[in-house]
Amino acid sequence: MSDLKVIGKPVPRIDGEERVVGAAQYVDDLDFGPNLLHAEIVESPHAHAEILSIDTREAERVPGVVKVVTAKDFPYTFGLYMQDRYIFAKDRVRFVGEQVAAVIARDPATAKRAAERVKVRYRKRPFVLDLKEALSDDAPLVHPDLGHYARCPWFFPRAGTNIAHWRKTRRGDIRKGFAQADFILEDTYTVPRYAHCAIETHAIVSLYDHSGRLTLWSSSQSPFTQRNVFANALAPLGLSHQDIRVISPNVGGGFGGKAGVSMEIMGAVLGLAVKGHPVKLRCTRGQEFYNTYQRQGVLARIKLGATKDGRMTAIDHKLHWDAGAYVEYGANVVNAAGLSATGPYPIPNIRIDSICTYTNLPPGGPYRGFGYSEFLFGLESHVDRLAEMMGMDPVKFRRINAIQEGDTLAYGGKMNPSGLREAIDRTAREIKWGKKTRPSGPNKVTGKGFATFWKAPAMPPNAASSAFLKFNEDGSLNVLISGMDIGQGLLTVMAQVASEVLTVPVERIRVETPDTDRNAYEWQTVGSHVTWGCGNAVKMAAEEARDKIFTTVHRAHGLKKEDLYLENEEVRCRTRKNFRLPLRDFVINGIMLPNGQFRGGPILASGMFMPEFTSALSDPETSQGGKPNVHYTVGAAAVDIEIDRDTGKVDVLKVVLAVDVGRAINPDLIRGQVVGGVVQGLATALYEDIRYDKNGKLLNANFTDYKIPTAMDTPKEIVPIILEVPQPDGPYGARGVGEHTMIPCAPIVANAIYNALGLRLKSMPLTAEKICLAMNGIDYDEVKGETMGLCFMGDPDTYEFSTGKTR
Amino acid sequence: MSIAHPFVYEKPATVGQALKLLSRHGPRARVLAGGTDLIGLMVDGAERPDVVVDIKGIKGLKDIRREKSATVLGSLATFTDVLESSLIRRKLPVMAEMAGWVASRGVRNRGTLVGNICSAVPCCDTGPILLAYRAQILVKGPRGARRVPIDKWFTGPRTTVLKPRELVIGIRIPDPGRHAGCFVKMRRYRGEDLAQASVTVLLMPGKEWRVAFGSVAPKPIQGKRIERLLKGRSLDAGLMDKVVDLTAKEIAPITDIRSTREYRAHMIRVMMRRALEGAVSRKAGKGPPYGSELI
Repeated sequence: MSDLKVIGKPVPRIDGEERVVGAAQYVDDLDFGPNLLHAEIVESPHAHAEILSIDTREAERVPGVVKVVTAKDFPYTFGLYMQDRYIFAKDRVRFVGEQVAAVIARDPATAKRAAERVKVRYRKRPFVLDLKEALSDDAPLVHPDLGHYARCPWFFPRAGTNIAHWRKTRRGDIRKGFAQADFILEDTYTVPRYAHCAIETHAIVSLYDHSGRLTLWSSSQSPFTQRNVFANALAPLGLSHQDIRVISPNVGGGFGGKAGVSMEIMGAVLGLAVKGHPVKLRCTRGQEFYNTYQRQGVLARIKLGATKDGRMTAIDHKLHWDAGAYVEYGANVVNAAGLSATGPYPIPNIRIDSICTYTNLPPGGPYRGFGYSEFLFGLESHVDRLAEMMGMDPVKFRRINAIQEGDTLAYGGKMNPSGLREAIDRTAREIKWGKKTRPSGPNKVTGKGFATFWKAPAMPPNAASSAFLKFNEDGSLNVLISGMDIGQGLLTVMAQVASEVLTVPVERIRVETPDTDRNAYEWQTVGSHVTWGCGNAVKMAAEEARDKIFTTVHRAHGLKKEDLYLENEEVRCRTRKNFRLPLRDFVINGIMLPNGQFRGGPILASGMFMPEFTSALSDPETSQGGKPNVHYTVGAAAVDIEIDRDTGKVDVLKVVLAVDVGRAINPDLIRGQVVGGVVQGLATALYEDIRYDKNGKLLNANFTDYKIPTAMDTPKEIVPIILEVPQPDGPYGARGVGEHTMIPCAPIVANAIYNALGLRLKSMPLTAEKICLAMNGIDYDEVKGETMGLCFMGDPDTYEFSTGKTR
Repeated sequence: MSIAHPFVYEKPATVGQALKLLSRHGPRARVLAGGTDLIGLMVDGAERPDVVVDIKGIKGLKDIRREKSATVLGSLATFTDVLESSLIRRKLPVMAEMAGWVASRGVRNRGTLVGNICSAVPCCDTGPILLAYRAQILVKGPRGARRVPIDKWFTGPRTTVLKPRELVIGIRIPDPGRHAGCFVKMRRYRGEDLAQASVTVLLMPGKEWRVAFGSVAPKPIQGKRIERLLKGRSLDAGLMDKVVDLTAKEIAPITDIRSTREYRAHMIRVMMRRALEGAVSRKAGKGPPYGSELI
């Protein structure tokens, strides 16, 4: 494929300059004129309570208030995979911060002032924050109506319990598998909740105009899915898809947090409440933490067996997820992990239980990594420990078990082409595996850690992408897609794909952010799948345009279509060397014949892509029989750290991350993904430390006490290694890479800490404090006080879960 | 994001006008300088003043100047002003070191040292350094001017001896003579953070030592016992161990979401050791440059 001209080249971002100079506009920057109204949310102070009454009269009397909206006005449910949420809490609230009402006013200060005057009477109910409590037989039920909720067919809630979904994957015979093992290790690992911390908080402006059309300017990864969720939820009002238009300008960071629909549903109905006036709803930083989505916490119990020559024989992996008060999106994270919690190892005997449990904490949902970061912390820590138990080098152990093309996956499908072994070898070489770095001082000690990773997009089997492509009079192009540029550089990559087919230079191709009225359909920009899915659609559209171009030339000049080709924005012919027809001469106005008539017309094309080889239908008891995942992207990562023995502080000297992207359409952008993902992943390992109080209130919904890295906290060196074993069904062989770069970061640090100090930390985050106290023989869990980051207060090792009874 | 509480904004041009406004409105007024604390509190609704008196229009309050045998920082002097002042770097180098560890560049550009001691949170960085430098707070009020020694300034978390109708004009720091020292701040990462604990050590002429702590008591505190133990003595390994052990008696750390009591207590020992070593080597002219990370 060396004849590629644009694919594989480090083309600069087409939207780079406007972003860097601060000219790019985000939802909050758009000007809606003096009629713009502002909304403020009234929130629940309780983790679980009945709403007895809402008195809005005093708020409505505040001068400047236009309307106060509650569930009475819009008593509808919504949800992506399961309709378990009300637009405004109806009858009961289920977490601290849940929306009960919204005040619409002429200015933000008035709205805020009036919101304080909305009087809500509650009757407090027993709540559950602790996973064990949530699963106990006499637990208060977060959703007594669970059995009646509409849901997608591959979710298995248990009515009468707090179990919202239970993904079971079974393969082989684990009893036999463990009997074959010479070494078996069983232990428990915990990963708390995390927040996305996009720099731009969620914002939406909603306008319901007099033509009955609802337009939303939404900071979103998923404009079409938002439209679909809005249309389904608002159908009782007579609104249909054609009436709803979602425009997504630039997004200041998504990381999964702006997928699906969270606070945006309120925005949608606020517009409906004040016909003719645009209304803006923007999350405060605090709301961004507690009322969008959070990454779910998990308690993982892993039992892994291997023979003495290093073959993994059986895995029993139980994942207990704290999914929060609503799981309309989060249950799919649980599902994805439940299908893949073997890691990139084709273990013959498998039992995975991935259990999604309701708690009275903020709703969990999608977050870069989608369940894989969470289970890989435990699993890749465990793999290191089992290797040590066996007396085997952990890199060698991984290499022996590394999945290869054609190997059987946990759910029975076959593994796609991948370069995991090469990733392992190159990562080990680059990090100088086995050699200790000399510490920089007498109090310092160094260590290295290694992990492999994999991840597949978690999507409905028929998640589709499409693209429109239009030529302009000068031969330049507009490509209209609804894949979202959330920092990864999608717009640039799609321009490269169109450019490669049509030979129009990237700088003469405009690809902009979506508008559901104008742009072609895209399911969502999640799951690291848009370069793959949307890329296929753009390529198809470009090829269709090329075909139309050749048809026009054929009809005007009589040349055979199969002899025509494009070069430098001209149509050329293999059989007529002198034939050169610039695109600009005919792509709109056609080609004139000798008689003055014209042939052709505006060249426009569309492309679509939907995987036709997937299926979510499988046996609910084993997950066998379907093909839920389109492909896995694999890789390996390693870290070299230095720890100050006195303080426990970790200095990250070097990170190496090798990932098999199939085809690097734009290597610079992939390097950007590696750097960004590594920094984000290391932050979850080293700094971010979410805390709730005993009543379920989030204590650090701010950057004062929830620490994401600054430029000063980045590793000294990050080495991306790009591998290219092509994905046959991807555009030019590409497969997804966006999320993968963060998911191995926690286990590499945990393994490096062990390598440096002989200290095994089994609970994230791995803060300096935790390391230091452990070095001094103090168990952090015993002194941490009464705040919690994990959804349990006790010692996770002693946790037993009751998952039997239903009521 | 928005301030829900309505208030009147005043911007006096002189100290006299400011005092008049404060006098008229008493406890209903709040003074605004950098605003890095007050505005956040007003957005949260934790502070709801009826009148905000912005003193940024008063000329001369931003100066850092010499006055007899002392350095005076005006109440509008920001952390960046301190960090970039050659006078401070020369006369009070540990003060500059402290300023460099405060928050982020943006906050340092805006936030003032006087604001920091007026908000008087237990984790303020300015308190301990002023204790070590034996500073005086210059206050003006309806009854004239007064000087408050810094050790009498803080009365508890977010409280000081400043009365509602008074205004802080500046901070006066008597010349300490040839000295060296360290300000060591415990942070959760390298980026901006509030101190989970801080240790300030100054080695003064005549082997006099000054020690202060932040974030390990309801207010910034002076390490008086340690100062007495060290007075007139040269540091050796034995004395160092004694000092480090004595920290436990000086401080009263608590567990909160920023740190456990145990880690704070441990870190204070580590920081004390490194600060003492740093002060001695800096005094000898060979220590790590001011502003270097010691932990």
